[in-house]
Formats: sequence, C-alpha cells, structure tokens
Amino acid sequence: MIMHQPLRRAFLIAAIYLATSVVLNELRQHQFVSAGTVVRLMGMLMGLVVLVCANAIPKTLVPLARLSCDPAREQTLRRVVGWAGVLGGLGYTLAYALAPIAVAARLANSLLTPAVAVVAGIMAWCVWKRVNARRRET
Amino acid sequence: MLRAGPMSAGALADAFDVSKPTMSAHFAVLVAADLIGAEKSGRTIMYRLKMSVLEEALMGFAQAFGLQVTPETPTTPAPGQTKGKS
Repeated sequence: MIMHQPLRRAFLIAAIYLATSVVLNELRQHQFVSAGTVVRLMGMLMGLVVLVCANAIPKTLVPLARLSCDPAREQTLRRVVGWAGVLGGLGYTLAYALAPIAVAARLANSLLTPAVAVVAGIMAWCVWKRVNARRRET
Repeated sequence: MLRAGPMSAGALADAFDVSKPTMSAHFAVLVAADLIGAEKSGRTIMYRLKMSVLEEALMGFAQAFGLQVTPETPTTPAPGQTKGKS
C-alpha cells in the first residue's frame, strides 16, 4: 500500500503511543513500575515526539514554485517554528524526567505552552497574509 | 549565506574566489549530506538551506567552541582551479 511519508509517520507515532501505553499499563498492573513512573515515561515520550517532529520542520522544503510568499521569509518562519518546538519539547521532556511528579505536569505544560503559542501565532499570521493576498488578487 | 534565503548557484559562486566547477563539487557534497536543497528554476539552480534544528545547533556549538566549520575567508583555490579558468 502506497502511503505518503507524513501519513506513515503519523501512524507510526500513534502506534508507538498505543504500544507504549499498553505495555506500561501491563507493567503497572503487575507492579513492575509505579503509577508515577508510568506518568513520567508517557510525558517524556510526548515531549520527545514534539522534539523530533519540530526538529524536522526546517528540513522540510516546499518546492519554490508552490510558495506563495517570499522564500527567505518562509525559511525564517520555519526555523523559528522549529526552534520553538524543539525548545518546548525539550523542556517538556526534561520537566517530566527531572521534576517532582506532583509539579511535573504543570511545569511541562508551562514550558510547552509558549512554544505552542509561537507556532500558532506564526500559522495564524501566515493564513492572514495569504487571505489578504488573495483578496488583493480578486 | 543561505541563512538569509535561497540563492542561485551563480550568486553563490560569485561570492567565493574559486571556479564554478569547484563550487559545483562543493554543492554536490552538501546536497549529498542533505544540508542544502537544490531546485531547478528555469535555467538556474536555486540552493536552499536544509538543516534541522539539531544540525544548526551543532554547527553553532562548533563555531562557539572554535572549531572551524565555516572558514572566515574563502579558501584559496587550488592550482588550475582559479575563477578565470572555469
């Protein structure tokens, strides 16, 4: 079956999430690991997925012919989004790995939220610019 | 240079005192290493930076700790590879 690369990666990530959660749940039920460790490991996994995906963002190039904006600006925005995602994901992973479990979730979310805000802000700005450009064309 | 945006092969070659075939060989190495992307646009080849965040961070560290990743001055051309001879 032919599948696009991003779709295949999304399915792979979903499969890893499911498999890890099932394995960790089984281990917890047999009391090999504590509930706190399960939360920690799942948090670290989520942070690592954010980190890995954000790391690849600047390397994913859209063909120049398909770009509707300045290629230099597009490259800069990709780099900003990539860096924000990597730093957010790294913070999220480290918070779950090192912080006391009572505050790990809150700390991890407070570290990832600014990165998500940056990415969402840039995406909204790009959409707004594209809509404005189309309006000017018509 | 490519951090500022995509550049044509000619514009990149003009910035260095080496022949175009030598530059082309350097581009081929960078493309093979997946650090830059080449795309044909009409008759020119446009090169774009294709570095992941980790690769960029590693390059930043290397430069910060004095490892000469990108030379400050363009390299001197090898005999027989001067710009005029290309």
